[in-house]
Amino acid sequence: MLAFISRRLATAVVMLLVIGTIIFSLLIIVPGDPAELLLSTGGGSATPEAIANLRSTMGLDKPVLVQYATFLYDTARLDFGTSIVDSGSISSAIALRLPRTLEIIVVGAILALAVAIPTGTAAGLRAGGRFDIAASAVNALLTSVPGFVVGTLFIYFFAQVLGWLPAGGYVAFAANPAQHLQMLILPSVTVGLHLATIVFRMTRASVLEMRGHDWVRTAVAKGLRRKRVVRRHILHNALGPIITVVGLQLGILLGSTVLVEFVYNWPGLSGLLVSAVEQRDYPTVRAVILTVAAIFIAINTVIDILSSLLDPRIRLQ
Amino acid sequence: MTQAPLLDVQKLRKSYPIGRRGLFSRRTLNVLHDVSFSVAPGEVLGLVGESGSGKSTIGRAILRLIESESAAMRFKGQDLNTIPSGRLRDLRKDMQIIFQDPYASLDPRKTIRAVLSEALDAHGLHRGPARGPRLTELVNLVGLDPSFLDRRPHEFSGGQRQRIGIARALAVEPSFIVCDEAVSALDVSIQAQVLNLLADLRAMTGVSLLFISHDLSVVRFISDRVMVLYLGRVMEVGPADQVHFAPKHPYTAALVSAEPSLHRENRRIRLTGEIPSPLSLPSGCIFRNRCPYALPACADTVPQLQTVGDQHQAACLRHDIL
Amino acid sequence: MMSMPRIPTRMIVPSLLLAALIVIPFAAPLITAEDPIKMAVRYRLAAPDLAHWLGRDEFGRDRLARVLYGGQVSLTVAFVATSIACIVGTFFGLIGAYFRGPSEFITTRLSDIVLCFPPILLALLVVTLFGPGAGTLVAVLSVLYFPTFARIAFSEALRVTSLDFVEASRALGTPSRRIVLGTILPNIAGPLSVQYSLTAAAAITIESGLSFLGLGVVPPAPSWGQMIRGARQFMNQDPLGILIPCAALVLTIYAINFFCDRLRDTLDPKGGAGSGMDDVSAPLALANAPAIDDPDVVAMITDLRLETSRYGTPVAVIEEVSLTLRANQCTALVGESGSGKSLSSLALMGLLPGAIRQASGTLQLRRKSGDVVDLGFLDARTLEDIRGNDIAMIFQEPMTSLNPIHTISGQMIEAILAHRPMSKTEARSHAIALLKRVGMNDAERRIDSYPDQMSGGMRQRVMIAMAFACEPRLLIADEPTTALDVTIQAEIIELLQSLRQDQASGLSLLFVSHNLGIVADIADRVAVMYSGQIVEEGLADLILRDPHHPYTRALIESMPSSHEALHSTGGDRLPAISGTPPLPSARPSGCAFRDRCPIAIASCAEIRPQLYPSPDGERSVRCLRAPEAPGGLQMSRTEAA
Repeated sequence: MLAFISRRLATAVVMLLVIGTIIFSLLIIVPGDPAELLLSTGGGSATPEAIANLRSTMGLDKPVLVQYATFLYDTARLDFGTSIVDSGSISSAIALRLPRTLEIIVVGAILALAVAIPTGTAAGLRAGGRFDIAASAVNALLTSVPGFVVGTLFIYFFAQVLGWLPAGGYVAFAANPAQHLQMLILPSVTVGLHLATIVFRMTRASVLEMRGHDWVRTAVAKGLRRKRVVRRHILHNALGPIITVVGLQLGILLGSTVLVEFVYNWPGLSGLLVSAVEQRDYPTVRAVILTVAAIFIAINTVIDILSSLLDPRIRLQ
Repeated sequence: MTQAPLLDVQKLRKSYPIGRRGLFSRRTLNVLHDVSFSVAPGEVLGLVGESGSGKSTIGRAILRLIESESAAMRFKGQDLNTIPSGRLRDLRKDMQIIFQDPYASLDPRKTIRAVLSEALDAHGLHRGPARGPRLTELVNLVGLDPSFLDRRPHEFSGGQRQRIGIARALAVEPSFIVCDEAVSALDVSIQAQVLNLLADLRAMTGVSLLFISHDLSVVRFISDRVMVLYLGRVMEVGPADQVHFAPKHPYTAALVSAEPSLHRENRRIRLTGEIPSPLSLPSGCIFRNRCPYALPACADTVPQLQTVGDQHQAACLRHDIL
Repeated sequence: MMSMPRIPTRMIVPSLLLAALIVIPFAAPLITAEDPIKMAVRYRLAAPDLAHWLGRDEFGRDRLARVLYGGQVSLTVAFVATSIACIVGTFFGLIGAYFRGPSEFITTRLSDIVLCFPPILLALLVVTLFGPGAGTLVAVLSVLYFPTFARIAFSEALRVTSLDFVEASRALGTPSRRIVLGTILPNIAGPLSVQYSLTAAAAITIESGLSFLGLGVVPPAPSWGQMIRGARQFMNQDPLGILIPCAALVLTIYAINFFCDRLRDTLDPKGGAGSGMDDVSAPLALANAPAIDDPDVVAMITDLRLETSRYGTPVAVIEEVSLTLRANQCTALVGESGSGKSLSSLALMGLLPGAIRQASGTLQLRRKSGDVVDLGFLDARTLEDIRGNDIAMIFQEPMTSLNPIHTISGQMIEAILAHRPMSKTEARSHAIALLKRVGMNDAERRIDSYPDQMSGGMRQRVMIAMAFACEPRLLIADEPTTALDVTIQAEIIELLQSLRQDQASGLSLLFVSHNLGIVADIADRVAVMYSGQIVEEGLADLILRDPHHPYTRALIESMPSSHEALHSTGGDRLPAISGTPPLPSARPSGCAFRDRCPIAIASCAEIRPQLYPSPDGERSVRCLRAPEAPGGLQMSRTEAA
């Protein structure tokens, strides 16, 4: 077990390193001078001093290997340098905004799992039944609505037409807990909705598959109560595939969160990212993406370890 | 046997690397260990063994469908180990295979005509106007109706599919066919039909068969000689009836006695212990931990095949007690 | 020689919907003459009128034109990018799977890495460097999605390559290029086309999302994401502004997803496997159950008829099956695949597959308490009490019959606790005792292992131990040794025999098998099934030694082990019967066996034979020509052969 965990952790570190290297080398393989490229806006090009200035702040004047080593060293210390737009520390900007993004995702994920696993199980157990047909149809429709469309429509109905909830914005929890939670509802439901459609689909398929296995027949033949058969011999087995898929989908989830935050003016990582992309603030973009990739890898590592606890076959390999 | 053998295999080995434990100590799983045999023209050699004995691996290694090592592997005098790939394609016309699973062995998307044509096309046989009559001849040969040619596999029963598989193998007029558990998946009444078909085809065309099966009675009925494998090693080889009715190796004897039969009173030879993992085989004779006749000496030396009768060999120190 | 498969009915609606949604945007010039980028600020946010069906946007541009032309952009970006990704990915995947080696490594590792990036973030990264635009989007999306295709193509091709028919093509000497393109590619086209639809939908989502952020398609070129972005500020005055592009976007993605779902269902129809988790419909008209007076009778099947609707109308898969199972007796149910022997035994457990329904007949069981119950009439709770307690069952596949994620002890203890009130510790020691009884050495230690750590023979011993956990009165063994090697098979049969003998409560064993040799070893009575009916039944010795039904005789005669003197090289042939068993939907009139029967006469086609009992009642046979039948032949075995 320990060997398995350390192997998984090592893989995670290697993955991070590879991703960091890819992100780093993107700037190198760009044709032309990256500093010039980043400073060019629309038609006009920047002054030579500005370019030279950027080259030295980004360290682009040093040899590539030195740049690479510096990049790795700084990243390992969680020092992402300074923004080329306002010269602020990127690390502290991320530290400020990351928790807000995680809040939406965690609340959204909890909502999604709480709704989708029971409904998915019910649909899978009675595949082809009335509930399954209705739930699957609703799910198919919801799957087809991109997150930012859900957000826009939610704002229109719940904020504009019904006036139940604020259209967006952010208040710190410490400043006004009630308002904070109120503002949290729409963004997290929007994020959760998307995840829920995926989890529902996966749970249904997984339960349907597990249901057909011989060991379920054995369990029934032993005279176990139906509930116990479902819990121990169907759901327990289905959980591994479900959380693995959830882990892989988190990448898409993290991405759609960017849009959702933007829709609701939620000042998480996305505001930072979108404005950085608009202003071609490459160091900031790079830092945000590295952070998100690191979170993604961390979550998947945890999930791998979790599934090995659920399924001895993974450990025993 | 005075004729030159059609196929001659010397010291065939096959191993797979398994689970890397660190960078350097790669463990290997030996599924075949120095298997030597030959098949005469027109002969049927039966290959018997339980799961894990490596019998299917032998068939695929001979056809070069998987890579293997051997001291020599000659087919019609040509060395299969060193043959260039262009010549290998020509040789494939001469060596064919019939599979166990009648459902997996036919492409569900192809009609029977397409299946058989692929075989002929691969070697440019019976092109143009000669194609039609040849296809009719082939399906007739295996006892099917020519109207079946334009149907797809899902319209056929297991026995019919197996006949199509046989027709595909016969299409290129091979002189040697590997029958890999070719009748094992069939119900007994269908199995008898297919066995008779194989026996007829063999009598008609003089084709040699390597007949791989776990069913001893089937192998005895169809084969001239039988070779018994256990964990990738040859235990006994000899004329079919002799091996079946007067086995010289305790493992063969146990196999025969374990086989359920309607007519023989079963005096079962009790095997103790479990089949060892191929990763940790016993020293000396690999069968000794289950052998009712094992002596301390069996742990020291690996028994070699020795002649125990006319064309009959067994790898057992105690072959004379049976 | 590929022929176009016909379009299945259920694909028609999604295909038409998808086609319409793809064609309509590209038919924009035929639908409206308006220019999507011509501004008319005077008419900003004008309501719909005859010339502008959907009104005008915040710059006074015609909204219908913008939606249609915006669709062109979204669809083009999505489908061009998806096609590139599909072609490149499939190429890499196929190469990797067929030739293995380094290309395999590249294919799998590369996709691992790309899959790590949230797609939209990677797109943003590239947009930062190269600036927004449709060209950038196509490039990013193709790079993003080709690893997924490579992965699917790789794993599917790997699966197909290992199939016998690909091996057959290689053995025939078909060139590699033709095997890959002619055999492997058509067989992996299904999953790839499903992935193609999924990816196209995802690509539209990403394109519109980026455009929504203002980082996708560059204005003034129209795009749905941009339209939503622009209309957001005016959603109060002009809700149509957001609703229309939202609807267009959702409808398009939905159409693709709908198409994809149906495609997946069509390509991969999942049969409903019977596991007892299906909702079994109650039998319709049940005959009155006969009273069971004989205390020795443990279970009695009377006139069982099972139907399936697979062939459109209900067709009997089993009919007129009656069987009496007695204490201290082993009854063997013998037949070839499709004869209905397994279904008969599953019916006793209430484990029939969902597609099969009990149409009539009774399934009576004498419980340990002495009560006789009809299994067809019980509520689910009582049935649960009976399973594992009064009736136990062992199955054919020991490798899959145990749950791989629970230990042996966990699975045995729950079987015991389901019916016995005792503590977990007591149940555990009971389980260890059971394992010792089935001949497992070192049971105290091995009880805590997982099924995957055991051989097939050991797992079957565990299954047997579990079946005996509550000392059932009836044990059903459905082909318990078929998946095992012959030496292991012999051990398991020996074990079953010894367990039968030391069972004080008078176990009745129903042994389902196709192997007459094993049956001869273990059975007291034999019932031979053919095409859903019992054709011969009686004392095992009598039936196997002197079969009266021509099918039973053919079964025995077909076995090579019945002919130790015959040898193919001597020109001998096995006495085989011709033909194959009929499908339940295509049984001949009269006797179901007459097509293959060597002694059939004209009346066999007209009269449906009954099970005719012999005068001493020791056997019965369903054949007009059997000695038991009125006017049947008085023949011996040699006469018929």
